[in-house]
Amino acid sequence: MSRFSDSWRVQRNVIQALMIRELNTRFGRENIGFLWVMVEPLLFAGLVAIMWRVMKGPEEHGVSIVMFVISGYIPLTLFRHAVSRCIKVFEVNASLLYHRQITIFDFLFVRFLIEMIGAMFAFTFIATVLHFFGLFSAPKSMGFLLAGWFLYSLFTLSLCFMIAPLSEFSDVLEKIIPVTTYIMIPFSGTFNMVEWLPVAARPYMLWSPPVSAMEMIRYGLFGDAVYPYYNVSVVFVFSIVCTLIGLVLCRRVRRRLTVE
Amino acid sequence: MISCEDVHKFYPLGHGRKHVLKGINLAVRHGERVGLLGRNGSGKSTLIKLLGGVELPTSGRVQRHMSLSWPLGFTGGFQGSLTGYDNARFIARIYGREYGDLRDFVEDFSELGAHLKMPVKTYSSGMRARLGFALSLAIEFDCYLIDEVIVVGDQNFQRKCHYHLFEKRAERSLIIASHSPDIIRSYCNRAIVLHEGTGAVFDDVEGALNCYAQL
Repeated sequence: MSRFSDSWRVQRNVIQALMIRELNTRFGRENIGFLWVMVEPLLFAGLVAIMWRVMKGPEEHGVSIVMFVISGYIPLTLFRHAVSRCIKVFEVNASLLYHRQITIFDFLFVRFLIEMIGAMFAFTFIATVLHFFGLFSAPKSMGFLLAGWFLYSLFTLSLCFMIAPLSEFSDVLEKIIPVTTYIMIPFSGTFNMVEWLPVAARPYMLWSPPVSAMEMIRYGLFGDAVYPYYNVSVVFVFSIVCTLIGLVLCRRVRRRLTVE
Repeated sequence: MISCEDVHKFYPLGHGRKHVLKGINLAVRHGERVGLLGRNGSGKSTLIKLLGGVELPTSGRVQRHMSLSWPLGFTGGFQGSLTGYDNARFIARIYGREYGDLRDFVEDFSELGAHLKMPVKTYSSGMRARLGFALSLAIEFDCYLIDEVIVVGDQNFQRKCHYHLFEKRAERSLIIASHSPDIIRSYCNRAIVLHEGTGAVFDDVEGALNCYAQL
């Protein structure tokens, strides 16, 4: 029992130290420091929301355009950033392996955690600000909203577990990841809901894990103004399979990793 | 005790691979001071990295039954873009030490003064060595793993290292890679000579130095 609590304490110290280190190296301590982590998702979501609002008017399919775009765009930036930052993460951080209590999983997890915290901060911040201007109504179901976020994060993290080691095996991956994450936007549930599709097409969309998560986020926000389609087990099975494959690949990378 | 059992290491080399270590066996008990001899490219640094767990052996086992420092050398273990103080804070966090105590020791031992407020990438190799030594001495390990670095410092630094490592902590173990027969002779009580991937362990240092001289 005490061994477990010891290793838990070491693990917590490591994650905390790596988080602070990563935030320091990425954002420095000048001006707003680590708050930069939420600036990019905030700008992206805010500007795209304004653009859509101007182009399409206040509502579409009976829901607020601004809320719809923001609730879609921020998880999408989480996904794209987390995936692009996990490429070659082992090589970049290899010098940390001088300290045996730090494992390659810690690098991965910390990078993901920073993106996730940034995205959630940005979401909460923009929603609160817009709420005061009457542009963002309070969520109808906090439970669905959080469950959706949780599944979206789980999906992203598990994919990172697989992509990070693969990127060490092949340089091609690094080149094709940006275009792939762009092409998958229509299958990510970011800008459309399953109920807007023809009935025949709906079941196919549910094979894409982020769609289920996004539908739950939307249902949490809009309540009965939308009809959500989701399949939680697809997300879980996908995430577990990716994580398991990822762990095996990570072990292989670790064996071969050369540290200067 | 720290032990290597039939440790092999391959590195990829073009389409093939290079067999750097071909079955190393070594046991380092409490209080033993082992010198690591070998010509350039004989695998000294590789063995140090495997012992320290920085890299993993392709086959064979490395076991550590006492606390072992990270390899103290010219590179590694630091984040270049962070300052000396930031690195000290990081080390204090991951090793679960009080930052205040660690900082005081590092300031005193390293004598880096205002340099500690500058990014480590601006340090010379001697300055890095001071910082690395200061940090690892502050943490207190049972066994110190040293790759060459002890010879880079100035006289004052070498004197300090000598005092802290060989007088104050005389009961600790040590594994040190060096080309200098003087260092091996004065600090070690055993030695291993690496040549073409194999290691010959000597229980008397003079025997090892003779063997090394004939390579």
